[in-house]
Amino acid sequence: MKSYEWMVAYTPQTEWIERRGILIWLAEVSNGIGGGLYLVSLYFNSLLGMFLSWLIVILLKGGFHFAYLGKPMRFWRMALKPGTSWLSRGFIFLTLFIVFGAIQLAFSYWLPGTALEFAFKVIAGFMVFLVVINTGFVMNYINAIPLWNSAMLPLLFLSCGVLDGLAVILTIGLCGSNVDIMEAEAGSRFLLILNAFLITIYLWGAIYTGATGKRSVIELIKGQTAPILWVGVVLCGIIIPFGISVSSYFVGEASAHLLITAVIFEMVGAFSLKYTILKSALYSPLIPTRS
Amino acid sequence: MTKWGMVIDLKRCIGCYSCMVTCKQEHFLPPGMFWTRLLVSETGEYPQVTNQAYPVLCNHCTEAVCVKVCPSGATTRRSDGLVDLDHDKCVGCRYCVIACPYQQRTFYRDGKKQYFPGQSLTELEIIGKELYPLSPGTVVKCNFCKEKIDEGIRKGLTPGVEREATPACVTNCPVKARHFGNLNDPNSKISKLIRQRKGFQLHPEFGTEPSVYYID
Repeated sequence: MKSYEWMVAYTPQTEWIERRGILIWLAEVSNGIGGGLYLVSLYFNSLLGMFLSWLIVILLKGGFHFAYLGKPMRFWRMALKPGTSWLSRGFIFLTLFIVFGAIQLAFSYWLPGTALEFAFKVIAGFMVFLVVINTGFVMNYINAIPLWNSAMLPLLFLSCGVLDGLAVILTIGLCGSNVDIMEAEAGSRFLLILNAFLITIYLWGAIYTGATGKRSVIELIKGQTAPILWVGVVLCGIIIPFGISVSSYFVGEASAHLLITAVIFEMVGAFSLKYTILKSALYSPLIPTRS
Repeated sequence: MTKWGMVIDLKRCIGCYSCMVTCKQEHFLPPGMFWTRLLVSETGEYPQVTNQAYPVLCNHCTEAVCVKVCPSGATTRRSDGLVDLDHDKCVGCRYCVIACPYQQRTFYRDGKKQYFPGQSLTELEIIGKELYPLSPGTVVKCNFCKEKIDEGIRKGLTPGVEREATPACVTNCPVKARHFGNLNDPNSKISKLIRQRKGFQLHPEFGTEPSVYYID
């Protein structure tokens, strides 16, 4: 946009998507994949999946967030305002997940089947659930951006995270780990439908938040980010994986190559969805504009 | 209890940008950074077109969303209503920049940016680095010239009345379009202006209760 149009016309947020803001996008995608994988791994009792997700959350999500900070060495200060700040709460949830997740992984590796292992699975699982859902709350708290100011966002991010987790666990299963591939596929089928429904409801709801929300949705479906939405989210993230999943349902068992293709497309969808939501966020003009 | 606020008279404002320049000079702001800005727009259709100039700055909101979202406690609201930012506590997460509906916060990215790159620093830049050192990697914003207000009060002066204790953009406005004072005092000049000329805030629907009012 032209500099003289700043806050005179609809102004996009740039801090969390442009320049170093790309790191926030990557952190949010890692958050979904890592957190979702942990939840799914708990269900399938895949130690490899849990360990991978724990690493993804620490190294990728934590790393990208850390690298984004203007003063990274002051990161510990982010825990100081949990009373009002969702970012502060998220930092605390993340720290607790790292600690409890490590304990749980140790129990699962050395003392599997014990009551303590189960207890730490519940605690770590709850923490990672909070980590995944927190991103949605960080964004939906901002009422200045109507596209984000939706109660659907935490739910959508959770659902997408679990879908991404299923995609990764499917890959782990195909690589020889003890994962029920048919069950993971059935879960993916259900979540693909659910995600398509949630995305539609989310965008539909944003239209009715006012002129700025409507403009954001128009930007999403017809503007510069439209190719990413239609090709990345809808085609790669939903239609192709769903097509492969449905074909495998009728054929019996799809080939490993086809499933890996579906997983890759699902990942493209995960990256695209977060990108479009961050990129299409608009602020309302501050002053009356040209009629 | 004092609550500092500002009233901007849109009828008087001629869009000369002197508030922007004064603020830049007062706080030795680096290139490309403004704590107060002038937004210019047009409404209507030819030949009935109205040109509007809106000076905007940090609204020092009573229900400041930037204070609520700040995870480190760097942004606080003082007892006199000023929304203050401690650069030594800011982690540079930019949640406040995103959350401000008025977009009045700036992330200070590049501390090496100069007015004349490749040449030596100007006198203003040299003095600024000593007197008003901004910390790169943190968020900055208008502080209602809190140094002037605090120092003025210490000297027994009244902000909004005496020039020495009043924000620079107010004292240097050539058409006296800006007024500063205590919003909680019903007899202050700004309270009277708001009452008499139906002062309004920008985007009250966000529920932030800005301390900057406009009259037209």
